[in-house]
Amino acid sequence: MSTGTDTAAPAVRPAAPAPAGEVRHAAPPPRPAPDAGHAVRPARQPLRALGRRLRALSLRSAAILVLLAVWETAPRLGLADPTFLPPVSEVAAAWWELLGNGQLGRHTWASLVRSFGGFAIAVVVAVPLGLLIGWYRPVAALLGPLLEVFRNTAALALLPVFVLLLGIGETSKVSIVVYACVWPILLNTISAVGNADPTLVRLARSMDLSTPRLFQKVILPASVPAVFTGIRLAGAVSILVLVAAEMIGAKAGLGYLINASQFNFAIPQMYAGIVTISAIGVAFNQLLVTIERRLSTWRVPS
Amino acid sequence: MAKIVFEGVRKTFGDFTALDGIDLEIRSGEFLVVVGPSGCGKSTLLDLLGGLSTPTSGRILLDGKPVTGPGLDRGIVFQQYALLPWRTALGNVEFGLEATGVPRRERRARATEFLDLVGLTGFEDRHPHQLSGGMRQRVAIARSLAYDPDVLLMDEPFAALDAQTRESLQDELRRIWQRTGKTVVFITHGIEEAVYLGQKVAVMTSRPGRIKEIVPVSFGERPETAAVGTGTGTGTGPQGEELRSSPEFARYRHEIWTLLHDEVARAQQLEKEEASV
Ligand SMILES: Nc1ncnc2c1ncn2[C@@H]1O[C@H](COP(=O)(O)OP(=O)(O)OP(=O)(O)O)[C@@H](O)[C@H]1O
Ligand SMILES: [Mg+2]
Repeated sequence: MSTGTDTAAPAVRPAAPAPAGEVRHAAPPPRPAPDAGHAVRPARQPLRALGRRLRALSLRSAAILVLLAVWETAPRLGLADPTFLPPVSEVAAAWWELLGNGQLGRHTWASLVRSFGGFAIAVVVAVPLGLLIGWYRPVAALLGPLLEVFRNTAALALLPVFVLLLGIGETSKVSIVVYACVWPILLNTISAVGNADPTLVRLARSMDLSTPRLFQKVILPASVPAVFTGIRLAGAVSILVLVAAEMIGAKAGLGYLINASQFNFAIPQMYAGIVTISAIGVAFNQLLVTIERRLSTWRVPS
Repeated sequence: MAKIVFEGVRKTFGDFTALDGIDLEIRSGEFLVVVGPSGCGKSTLLDLLGGLSTPTSGRILLDGKPVTGPGLDRGIVFQQYALLPWRTALGNVEFGLEATGVPRRERRARATEFLDLVGLTGFEDRHPHQLSGGMRQRVAIARSLAYDPDVLLMDEPFAALDAQTRESLQDELRRIWQRTGKTVVFITHGIEEAVYLGQKVAVMTSRPGRIKEIVPVSFGERPETAAVGTGTGTGTGPQGEELRSSPEFARYRHEIWTLLHDEVARAQQLEKEEASV
């Protein structure tokens, strides 16, 4: 535990129940065993489902509770230096105080506007663009390597460039979020279109559907799961990048709060900021997972 | 008049010749069954006829006009079902009707009717992943029947079904064919199925696929055009099990088996040689 900034945030974030990124195909192997008539799964008993849910929930919260317990006791027992890692109760107190004096609200709001704004712009731009590029295969092949280069250029490495071009204000911060969010969405959307089940495309063509119709009725719905995987990645990235951007030249935002607290040696406040960011990240991801589930109830339950 | 004509059709993929020298005439209202070893180009033949790909040379005429692309006058039942996984069984059947511009209310009624026809009443709201292979296949069949194409192109549609379901759908298909006068091109691996369904059975060679022989099949007393009644096997002539166990049936079966046998052996030999290279 040296810097503190890196440790708390990832530890609290539970692994999202990420569905695989690929579009699932309807077509099973051409000749499965003859089993007409009895393949329909019986409805699961609601009671058992509830029991399993509760167990899963307690299992998941158990790990977090252990983390909190360790966080509380380690500094108190002298296993960690309480100056650099105050017990969680002190952090909670600091968090409560920040909430009370409105600081937390102000900084959180500033961060949310920037990251959601950038994220939303990226979704609006990248999804249609990805659909278009994915549809014209030669274009996808042509742009593929270029997109890979951009994707793999860490957005934060470009932050100085953005600041240089757009100044230190809101524009550069939102822009860097947009930039970082665009790539996962764009690349996932492109591959989603490319991976759309060719038999379904053939089916649509055999019915003489026009290209826009084909898009609307086949490509788009088939792409939803993979596009959403990209969107979820972008959601995580938007917060990640923004916080880092806010640590350089900002007067508000959670990144600024963390940085300034550290600078002023207000360590509990610093952790309070970090915990807030984790919570936002988890909540945002959960929200996106829920939307994704809603949109793809038809998928084979994994 | 010939509904469908293949004139010297050849299809290559790169330097691989899938089909060569296909000459074939299918009369209007005819039920043609195509059998051949795996990989001999049956699906390729159907693709060409469906307008999903174009012949490398030669041409295909439909109603005297060259096939230039897909159209709703031909309905394809794909070997891989091709169901939209995000739609229910009913939605999948409606998909075909949307393309033809049937109004929404009627779509629903028609789709329900055709799902009933293939015995899937009660499964309208299931998604494909909640259906068995055979049920999916039946949804695909209902879909292509529902929008009422002139020509039905069926690529091993009953392959995934159990024997009972298959036989009842065979009878159902024959009934629909007799009632509607559709032209049917039906691909299968099953020799019995071919003899039972077809008016003509085209046997293909392997690598490159050619038409080896066309065997006309007819059972004298079989009610070919008369209304067959409702249930399975209630016709006036031999139907169902009775027909299947008749000596004529066995003779046709054997004839086609013999024609196929050599081809299958040759195809396997070729595959082995290819694998050992
Ligand atoms: N798009 C394609 N590109 C290259 N080769 C192809 C293509 N489509 C088919 N082939 C080849 O053409 C041959 C015929 O294929 P086709 O699918 O028509 O066989 P089939 O008779 O339907 O086989 P099966 O009974 O197993 O379904 C095969 O050897 C296949 O590998
Ligand atoms: Mg095939």
